[in-house]
Amino acid sequence: MPVAAEAKGWEPKIVAFCCHWCAYAGADLAGLNRLQYPANVRVIRVPCSGRVNPQFVLRAFQRGADGVLVAG
Amino acid sequence: MKRVGVFVCHCGTNIASVVDVKGVAEAARSFPGVVYATDYQYMCSDPGQELIRKAIKEHRLDRVVVASCSPRLHEPTFRRTCASAGVNPYLFEMANIREQCAWVHAKDKEGATRKAVDLVRAAVAKVCRNVPLSPGTISITKRALVIGAGIAGMQAALDIADAGYKVVLLDREPTIGGNMVKLDKTFPTLDCSA
Amino acid sequence: MVAAAQHPNIELMTYAEVENVAGYVGNFEVTIRKKARSVDPTKCTGCGTCWEKCPTKVDSEFDLGLGKRKAIYLPFPQAVPAVPVIDREHCRQFTRGRCGVCQKVCPAKAIDYDQQDEIVTEKFGAIVVATGYELFKWEEVYGEYGYGKYPDVITGMHFERLNNASGPTGGKIVRPSDGKEPKTVVFIKCVGSRDEAKGKSYCSRACCMYTAKHAHQVLEKIPGAQAIVFYMDIRTPGKAYEEFLQRTVHEGAVYVRGRVSRVFQEGDKLIVRGEDTLLGRQVEVAADMVVLATAMVPSSGWEGVAKMLGLQTDKDDFFQEAHPKLRPVETFTAGVFLAGACQGPKDIPDTVSQASAAAVKVCQLFTQDELATDPMIATVDESICAGCAMCEKVCPYKAISMKTITERVAGKQVARRVASVNGGLCQGCGACSVACPSSAMNLKGFTNEQILAEVDAVCL
Ligand SMILES: Cc1cc2nc3c(=O)[nH]c(=O)nc-3n(C[C@H](O)[C@H](O)[C@H](O)COP(=O)(O)OP(=O)(O)OC[C@H]3O[C@@H](n4cnc5c(N)ncnc54)[C@H](O)[C@@H]3O)c2cc1C
Ligand code: SF4
Ligand code: SF4
Ligand code: SF4
Repeated sequence: MPVAAEAKGWEPKIVAFCCHWCAYAGADLAGLNRLQYPANVRVIRVPCSGRVNPQFVLRAFQRGADGVLVAG
Repeated sequence: MKRVGVFVCHCGTNIASVVDVKGVAEAARSFPGVVYATDYQYMCSDPGQELIRKAIKEHRLDRVVVASCSPRLHEPTFRRTCASAGVNPYLFEMANIREQCAWVHAKDKEGATRKAVDLVRAAVAKVCRNVPLSPGTISITKRALVIGAGIAGMQAALDIADAGYKVVLLDREPTIGGNMVKLDKTFPTLDCSA
Repeated sequence: MVAAAQHPNIELMTYAEVENVAGYVGNFEVTIRKKARSVDPTKCTGCGTCWEKCPTKVDSEFDLGLGKRKAIYLPFPQAVPAVPVIDREHCRQFTRGRCGVCQKVCPAKAIDYDQQDEIVTEKFGAIVVATGYELFKWEEVYGEYGYGKYPDVITGMHFERLNNASGPTGGKIVRPSDGKEPKTVVFIKCVGSRDEAKGKSYCSRACCMYTAKHAHQVLEKIPGAQAIVFYMDIRTPGKAYEEFLQRTVHEGAVYVRGRVSRVFQEGDKLIVRGEDTLLGRQVEVAADMVVLATAMVPSSGWEGVAKMLGLQTDKDDFFQEAHPKLRPVETFTAGVFLAGACQGPKDIPDTVSQASAAAVKVCQLFTQDELATDPMIATVDESICAGCAMCEKVCPYKAISMKTITERVAGKQVARRVASVNGGLCQGCGACSVACPSSAMNLKGFTNEQILAEVDAVCL
């Protein structure tokens, strides 16, 4: 784990690509059930996980994302 | 130049009790392309939709972002609102700040507000690149094929035919009837099956 | 049956199989093979002279081998249409090249030995799949019931044929082995159903009730007879079903809770050995006939149907509905609906309800003149498409085909291959846009530019 991670207050920035039909619906369901999770994930809705071009993932890392999740 | 309007919903207290909705609208005003941003108690209600329609007229908006619940719920609603005010329904995007923000970060108001701002920024960035779309149409051949002519196939064929449509009832055996015609009397009435 | 045959809007195609399905909702193109009947249906009057005179006898499939039919035959007397077929595998004209009896005797000159299979392609807007069920092949796995080597161990369907007035025995319940009337009939339920070790895990849903019906029929038709039913549970969740069962029990049917461990022949009796789990003791019955309530399984050929129509199947190979509660007759292929036992074991009342539901879905579609399609579909920029066809390969819905366009390059007409998206088939998944090496394919509403802009915006 990088030293920065241990520094207090540091949180990774996570970009999640979620399929409209399953993972995105699942994230909605988590909300309906008021499940709590950290606020450092940003969801981008895609019509299918097959829509996620590797280029999108690379771009996220380029722009400073610490983690990318493709869920579908 | 794009003219985007941003509408941030309180959803009663569902969103507003966690996310600083006024702050989100304020932040949105500085995003490229945004010419108008406001917040309101219930965006999806009749007065809420009327507010969007009025803002479209008054501020000559050509694109709309609503930050509220999940698009899985109200995307069709707001698309219709846009269409009724003369904006192509596909020049619309939603930022999900309820299911995927306020409800799941209830104890982290600051984090939730920061996230909401980011989600609205993404929606604005996207909507600026949207183009008007229109649904295509396909014609329908009003004739049905039923594969298998047991009691299921016969019943479906008869109902469709009675509604006035042509049906082809197909079976690989030399006769229609399927398994049912092998039966003698059938439960629960014990009447004959053919 | 007759109602379906006589309806002016219904065209029957029997002895026919679907060979290919192309197109999409509203516009299916279906290739159908009409198998050669060897009889001209426009001439045949159904008089029956041919099958009376035909010299070749074979086991009747319709009667599950309990009776015989001729090489030219109707499966059963009330068959619709009442036009016979020649079974070319057994007909002497085909096997030995000579006979011609039916052709000689047919007063309508309807017999045509040279008839060929006919392939037709027809257009349909919607398809209802109603391919039903078959019975589980118990002979292959249930050694304890004799692997099918005892002629008097039969299935419920054999019993139906024996009991049917137009069946091979004219409706007399007799033993297939010696034609004697059985006095003690044992019924075994859940054969292949609810048995994960040897059969299927599911309940076949109709057997509890038809076994009660069979027990009633034994008691009604055979004076002094005994009907003994071995069961695991009795399931009668239908309107008037429990009452039906109770009536059979009051008539004297004996219900024994427990599984049968062995059936074997001793003299002309079948010894049925099992456990009565309620009394906690072994029981042995000397029976004259044993009837097995075997599981319903999907009709053979389901794989082909699923493949042609893009249907999913469940773990037991029944066709999968789009949602188990809310979309019970829809499938994942728009315009294709399910009815009856092909979707899962069910009895006639449930089958009929589901069939009517499927019919409504079809009618719902047909009341529209045009279907609106989602505009968020794939689109090709022909000017930069390299014609590599990568997109065509990855599309799970077969929505992409390659076409040839001509354009002027340096004053000359040149032809070039490019991709083309079918708006009726494209489901907007975007897989093609990822596969495209030249960025010619994009997805409307979720373009590369849009998504990249979102990524940039959230990473700020
Ligand atoms: C012994 C027994 C007794 C029963 N008694 C009763 C009773 O008393 N009461 C009751 O309510 N239910 C009873 N049932 C249940 C009843 O048989 C079914 O509910 C009913 O027959 C299901 O009808 P179906 O049309 O779905 O299927 P099926 O009757 O199986 O019809 C399917 C048809 O599709 C055709 N087909 C199959 N595959 C293809 C293909 N690939 N291409 C073209 N055609 C194809 C077949 O030839 C067949 O004609 C009994 C079942 C059994 C086993
Ligand atoms: S004899 Fe001819 S008319 Fe009569 S059933 Fe046979 S084919 Fe048909
Ligand atoms: S978006 Fe999906 S369904 Fe449509 S053409 Fe591309 S791969 Fe096929
Ligand atoms: S993958 Fe791209 S370049 Fe290749 S055929 Fe399809 S659209 Fe054209």
